[in-house]
Amino acid sequence: MTLLSQVLDFCGVERERLRARWVSSAEAPEFVEEVNSFIDALKTLGPSPLKAKTAKMGVS
Amino acid sequence: MIDMVKEKIEALFKEKKIAGFLGLREQNGQVAPHLFMEGQALEGMCLGDRKIAGDARYPLNKILVTLARQYPEETFGILARGCDERGLYGLFRLNQLDPDKVIAVGIACPGDLALACECKKPFPEALVAGEKIQAGDSIKAGRETLAAMDTLDLDKRFSFWKNQFSKCVKCYGCRDICPMCFCRECSLECEDLVSKGDLPVDIPVFHLTRAMHMADRCVDCGLCDEACPADIPLRLLYKKTAQIMDIEFGFTSGINKDERSPLSMMGPAPKKVAK
Repeated sequence: MTLLSQVLDFCGVERERLRARWVSSAEAPEFVEEVNSFIDALKTLGPSPLKAKTAKMGVS
Repeated sequence: MIDMVKEKIEALFKEKKIAGFLGLREQNGQVAPHLFMEGQALEGMCLGDRKIAGDARYPLNKILVTLARQYPEETFGILARGCDERGLYGLFRLNQLDPDKVIAVGIACPGDLALACECKKPFPEALVAGEKIQAGDSIKAGRETLAAMDTLDLDKRFSFWKNQFSKCVKCYGCRDICPMCFCRECSLECEDLVSKGDLPVDIPVFHLTRAMHMADRCVDCGLCDEACPADIPLRLLYKKTAQIMDIEFGFTSGINKDERSPLSMMGPAPKKVAK
């Protein structure tokens, strides 16, 4: 994680787009909260700069 | 310099310490790797210095790994520059070579080559010929290259790498020449990760997968950079991962013979080392 987030940053992808958390399978509320907060964070960041690229690549 | 190397190899053969010596040979004006056997008189042997020092380099370590797999009982000698020896240490750590079955015959690189390579340590411990040059200037040059990249904004960095990665023709040259790439099955050929037959490659999956795999292996020899037909600054990317490993974990691949990678340890991360 330490490594990947910094490598992404080096390549110009915001670190905030990568997240890893340990949530037990017995902790449903924590999981929901984590995902919701990640979604909120991503909405603030806007679409990924990689998205346009990958969409184009699907057509061959 | 070459006389000292030859002398050493002949002595090794005489003492029956090695079954063969993996070095370079010049033939018809071309330099290529060659396995010298006893009694061959080391004919045509060279150190890979054609016009300038070190302009004909090969991943000898990679050939040695193949040899060792075929002949696990034999001991081989190998020509090693500083980077090659770092690679050997890495391969010992990763159980790809047995340290008791490899005898390195080391040569030191001259200052201008070290600087051009931004080398971390331009001489091997098993030094046979050449003068030890301290790596101060070349390390500094490497840091400056990285620092120049860090001054760019996030979106500038993104477009820089996107342009670089989209030049890739997926020739797998970087992987094939890499002396630290030894896996029998490669993630870059896993169709779930990398789609087959499509160009441009999956950005940034293809290159970042390799960068992540190289994080605790890359010895910064620069062969990938030389091999890339599209001139993608691969080394810059791996230099960054190596820098992160150094800053976060105090780990540099191939510097110590008894090193262990923090990425293959369980438990809390090793302490950062103040530098």
